[in-house]
Amino acid sequence: MGEQGDTLRTVVSATDTSFHAVRRRLSNALRDTAPLTDVPRALELSERGAREAPALREAELLEGRKQAARRLSGDPEARFDAFLDGSQLTLVAHWVGPVPVVHGTVSAVIRRRLDRRLTTWRAPIVRHALYAPVPLLSRAAADALDAAGVDVVDTMAQRDPDTAHPFALQDLAYLRVLADRERVEQELAEQWVAVEDGLLFIDGGIAGSAKVAAADNVVGVVKTHQTLHAAPEDLQVIAGLAVGERTGVVRIAGSRVPRARSRAVASWYLRTASAAGRDPFFGLVRIEVALATNAQPATLTKRADDVSRWVLAERTPLAIPDPRWDRMAYGIRDAEEYLRAVQ
Amino acid sequence: MGRVVATEKKPNTAHEFHFWTSLDSPIGIGTIVRVDGETPVGGQVPRVYGIVVEGYSYTDLQSPIHDVLGHDGAPASATQAATLRAEIRLYTAHVLRQIPEEPLQPVPMGTVALASDEDVAVALRMDTYLKPGESTGIPAGVYRAGAMEAPIYLDAEFLLGPEAAHLNISGVSGLATKTSAVEWLMSSIFTHFPRQMGSVAAVCFNVKGPDLLFLDQPGELDDADRALYERLEVAPKPFDKVRYFAPYMAKGFSLNTIRSNEKLSQNVSPLTWGLNEVMQFAEVLLNRDDVDAKADALIDFLQERVINREFTDPVLTTPHRVRSFAELETFFRDLLRGMEDRSSGEHWRTHHVATIRKVRNRLSNISTRCAGLVTDEGTVSDLPFGSFQDRTVYVVDVASLEEDAQDLIFARVVSKLREHLERRDLGVSHVVVFVDELNKYAPGDGQDTYVRKMLLDISERGRYLGLVLFGAQQFRSQVHRRVVGNSGTSLYGRMDMDELATPGYAVLSPATRTKLATLEKGQLMVRHPHFAQPIFVRFPRPAVMRGRDGAELFPPAAEVTLEVAVFRSLRQLDPAISLDWVKRTIAGHEEHVVIRARNETVQARPDRVQPFFEARFRRVVPAEPLAAPAAAPLRHGPSSDDPYGF
Repeated sequence: MGEQGDTLRTVVSATDTSFHAVRRRLSNALRDTAPLTDVPRALELSERGAREAPALREAELLEGRKQAARRLSGDPEARFDAFLDGSQLTLVAHWVGPVPVVHGTVSAVIRRRLDRRLTTWRAPIVRHALYAPVPLLSRAAADALDAAGVDVVDTMAQRDPDTAHPFALQDLAYLRVLADRERVEQELAEQWVAVEDGLLFIDGGIAGSAKVAAADNVVGVVKTHQTLHAAPEDLQVIAGLAVGERTGVVRIAGSRVPRARSRAVASWYLRTASAAGRDPFFGLVRIEVALATNAQPATLTKRADDVSRWVLAERTPLAIPDPRWDRMAYGIRDAEEYLRAVQ
Repeated sequence: MGRVVATEKKPNTAHEFHFWTSLDSPIGIGTIVRVDGETPVGGQVPRVYGIVVEGYSYTDLQSPIHDVLGHDGAPASATQAATLRAEIRLYTAHVLRQIPEEPLQPVPMGTVALASDEDVAVALRMDTYLKPGESTGIPAGVYRAGAMEAPIYLDAEFLLGPEAAHLNISGVSGLATKTSAVEWLMSSIFTHFPRQMGSVAAVCFNVKGPDLLFLDQPGELDDADRALYERLEVAPKPFDKVRYFAPYMAKGFSLNTIRSNEKLSQNVSPLTWGLNEVMQFAEVLLNRDDVDAKADALIDFLQERVINREFTDPVLTTPHRVRSFAELETFFRDLLRGMEDRSSGEHWRTHHVATIRKVRNRLSNISTRCAGLVTDEGTVSDLPFGSFQDRTVYVVDVASLEEDAQDLIFARVVSKLREHLERRDLGVSHVVVFVDELNKYAPGDGQDTYVRKMLLDISERGRYLGLVLFGAQQFRSQVHRRVVGNSGTSLYGRMDMDELATPGYAVLSPATRTKLATLEKGQLMVRHPHFAQPIFVRFPRPAVMRGRDGAELFPPAAEVTLEVAVFRSLRQLDPAISLDWVKRTIAGHEEHVVIRARNETVQARPDRVQPFFEARFRRVVPAEPLAAPAAAPLRHGPSSDDPYGF
């Protein structure tokens, strides 16, 4: 506890890198530009901006010859030892003319379950940075960002905006924050798999990190379905899943995050809550686990059934009042609440 | 242990703050905590002491229905949930003390810890009167939280005067908490009352049952009690010096008390008064609606001109010196006969004959209504006013008496205590007067009585004299406001919910009121002038025999004959006296004469009891049968020289 507390204090209370502190510094440094006085709306809540386009991505079926609904055998079983989730908050801190300077906060935490109560494993990661298209800024503005007491991320270092539209620049910053958030999640997950044997429930996919994707004690649970890993003819199977049914296991390449460190994983869909009278994605999650080399079909089936039962056990207590309660494990909601409190 | 929290909706103030703790913390309602601030004010990091008055627990659920849905309406399945919901223990505390005390600011954010012994002393300002060598602390009990236990002291100067005084204790009947607490506290006072403040004694009125009748007998204690005694530095033993007083029964043979077992009679004394003792308090016994101004004037006249004086009047056949009810009756008889014989009209010295008859009737009636306490012949056996002893309990048993007699005893004893304390010649400098059923003697409503006026007077002015009232009652709300309001220290045992719903308890938080309604035996809530907030303490069982146990172990003596009653009374003065001697001595004498002789002997306590007792009787010559006188002849026979009788 002492170690965790000390680490947390170091991370959070070094130089004040919070949004308001950084915004004050920028306003002082960039006096020739009008400071923002209102409380900006988080880009995560903005209706405009970068969103992943809906897509279908076919995946290699590893279980059976044809995709089909499979009823789980056995009762749900609580096996997870910990839950990992990340969070981000993206706010425009300053406008240098038409160029937005975005303050981003990314964080991740693992909440370990001991005696049915959740406590923090090690220390959470909380990082603040300014995200801006540095080449578009004047020398003075760039210097002011450097002097703001927080890391500066050049949003054009890896990718140019589609246009010079300020909103496009905002989207660019948003995507970088999103990537950083995934990075801190992976960083924390890698710490876990390096030292812990307990089973870790990760909110989201695990393919982004080869170390994590190869670990037997990690399960990724994806609850958003902008991209569906299925052939068009298999959509009916996914939509028709009943509670306690899953699809056959498929192989998903680590291509969603096109990085060399990614790795293929085994994945399947599972219905955790009845979608009767609701949209077909209600209570639908996609599970990712390490893809064992040369795994026999029977082994794969048992693994998928076991993991599905473990995930089903996390339906109680409900993650209410989160609107995604139908797909969210309570441990993940707890992690989100934790991060909301500390970031 | 916890952290202070404040939100816009639930901010902290200078008098109240909120904090949360881990789920397994030993914090509860009544726990004293210490807050260490984080930001110095004026160069000093603020430290705040508080007492928990309310607790909240909730989870991240927004509606109970969500929990129902989450468990499919089956409560049993909740126990199988993989994870327990996030839960909070949120407490509200009232500030006991802030350091520094100025500027008085809202409680800052900071860490919360259980108060240690030293913290408790500072929080309750006990540090101001527990200075080594000049401590005026009287242990009231221990405050417990978690594994911590701290003694709680009352300030003798605020308990027994002169700064403040008096103690009031409330609680439901049947738990013996009130009596036990007072007995314990008196032990504590007798042990810890500082010598530099003078001496102290207690006068207890036993108004019901055998509650206070075995204070000199050891009671049962368990190890936990003994540990408390040790912690509070009070010897776990009954009172060393106790004296009991009780009037006689109406017949006058034996004392009217449950403590009449012969084994315990050595420290039981009769309580009897004559005309002189009673007349000063006649107002207590006379119905004010009945005794009008005219009767009152005659009573005043009698007190000023007749009683204890040589009084002559043309109407009277003889001078009168009235010293007893019997002599008063003789005076009235002579007066009324004189008025009739002399046809002096319907008035005597402006007093109408009807008024005289009425006053005669009412005053003569006193010795009948208070038979056993008030004697016709004027024998007096009283409390030792003027020679009270330090650390001694004087118990007056009035439990079996009629209400009038109880009122008379109460009024006179307290008045005498006050008189002697004013003159500083009582024998002790402080007297604790314990009165149970205070709502009966000083009710908040109803007509004003002499006893209530006296209690109000003690409450308001007693602390300057060292006359301290310890009052107990079931319903504090029914006691006169000025009596409870002047009580510097208040104790509360388990309370009735209806009583707690009265306005007097509105200052307590709902949680504190609920705790009061469920207090265990041996627990009290204490309010004391030094304490900014009420404190919960635990006190040990008194080391004296419970009344019920005493009555079983020492059953009251059965009704006895006059001979046995006199024998038992005199044997206390002279163990050599035998029952046969008593029988011989009183043989042939009327009952009231024997009782008067016994009373006079007990009152005088002579060195030579037998001669003194014998001298109380006029010699009675035993009746002897007369020899039959020789019958006188109807006529003398003829003499020899006059055979014909001529």
